[in-house]
This record gives sequence, C-alpha cells and structure tokens, in this order.
Amino acid sequence: MDQDIEETREKFLNRDFDEKTFDIPAEVTIEYARLCGETASRFLDPADPDFQAPPTYIASLSGGRALPEDFPRFGIGMDAGKGVECFRPVRPGTTITGRTHLHDIYSKTGRSGRMVFAVSRIEFYDEEGNHLANSDSRMVMREKG
Amino acid sequence: MVVAKISDVEFGVDLPTFEPDTSLATAGKFATLVGWGGARFTDHEAARKEGLPGAMVPGILSQGYLVAMIHNWAPDAEVRSIDTVFRAPVIADEKHSISGVVTDIDEDERRVEIDLTVSNEKGETRVFGTAVIELPA
Repeated sequence: MDQDIEETREKFLNRDFDEKTFDIPAEVTIEYARLCGETASRFLDPADPDFQAPPTYIASLSGGRALPEDFPRFGIGMDAGKGVECFRPVRPGTTITGRTHLHDIYSKTGRSGRMVFAVSRIEFYDEEGNHLANSDSRMVMREKG
Repeated sequence: MVVAKISDVEFGVDLPTFEPDTSLATAGKFATLVGWGGARFTDHEAARKEGLPGAMVPGILSQGYLVAMIHNWAPDAEVRSIDTVFRAPVIADEKHSISGVVTDIDEDERRVEIDLTVSNEKGETRVFGTAVIELPA
C-alpha cells in the first residue's frame, strides 16, 4: 500500500466526523417504495403490522458532509457506488440518528494513473440506540497525471 | 415461481427478469422526492447541455429497482445487504431490464446471495450489484 494512503488511513479511518438526525415521514417512504416498484404492503400500507421503509431508503439520507473537513484532496470526487446493510427495519414516523465515519480508504493504479477510493459510512440508530443499518457511499478520486 | 422459503431456492437459478419503470416522469419524481432536484434527472435537453446522453435515473433509484426485483421473486425476503456499482448512467425513457442469478446459498443461516445486473436494450451493463437476503425456513 502506498505510504500516503497508509498515513491517510491512520489519520481518518473509523473516526466519526458528522452526526445528523432524520425524520422518517411515512408519505415519503411509501412514495419511495412505489417509485422503486415495490408492491408489498409492508412498504406501502401504514396499517400493515410490519410497516417499514424500503431497505434502500437510507441510501437517500445524506450527512452534513461526505468527507472530514481536513481530508486531502486527491482529485475530483465521483460517486462509484452505494451499499446498504440492514440489521433492523427503519420505521416511518420515527426519528433516527446518522453518524458518519470513513470505513475504508484504498487506491488502484491503472494505465490512466492512480485512483483513490474513500468509503464513507453512515451508521443509523433509532431513539433507543439500536443500530438499524449502515449506508456506504464509495467515492473515487482520480489523480491528475 | 414465487419463492417462499429457503428450500425453494436452487443454486444458479435465474430470477424472473424485471423491467423497471425508467420513465423520465418517474426519475424526476424520485429525484424531487429525495431532494435531488436537478435538470439532469428531469429534462433530456438540459442533461445533454451538461454533456450527458440524456436525463438520468438517479443511482439510488436503480438500487431500489434491484430490491423490488428481489421482492417480486421472494415477497418475504429480508434484504440484509446490497452493494451496487454505478458503471454507467441509466438513461430515462430508455428501456432497461434487470437480471439476477443465485450465486450462493447458506441453508443454516437461511441466506442467499444474488448477483444483479441492470442492462439497456443494447445489452450494455449500466449497474451491477450483489445482494444478500434472508428467507423463512
């Protein structure tokens, strides 16, 4: 691993740099589910005993910032992908808290030069402190040659 | 065939192809819903002025299509994780289809791994991902 990437990992990985609360409105999660093509009543009907937001809804929730304030600028960042892990359902009508840290930093070198990847993870918790889900955003920064 | 429990799943089986609603109207409504109000999701001409081939479907909507496809196949599936790579834009108003294949089954944990691909009419991969779901015993 490149020395500067090792140093960046040492300095930034697994340290929370943002915290934000999110209301989960039922009318939004229902429309989200409908537009995705979900048909199950647990995503569409508030009267369903297991009514919940669709699993990927949390991917639409953004923290106050995507990277720590003093994170080095390797290049212009682009969205390289999204990941979601679900531990418990997110219930509409509740308020949840998202805490953000950098989960991974790595580089790949190809013919066009080095690309640096940063995976920003938001961990979501309910009001009782239960860990509901993680949302990962993978950002790629292409270095200028 | 609708899958109800873990024993219904066979290794290597293809999920029924899913054709998502990639209309400009849906892309625009979704972008507005999640606060991504931008012309690149609502207006083909404006998107072309930004250098895109046309208005795009938001990446997280494509991710949502993948999960809807899984629920279409296995209505009671609980999605435990889904990782998605946005390889190229999904252009609104162009027909796309989603394919999926079962790549692993863990009967003890009742978990199934599925590889998923969103392709356009030319057969070009636009988005791909891997999901892990849990099914009833």
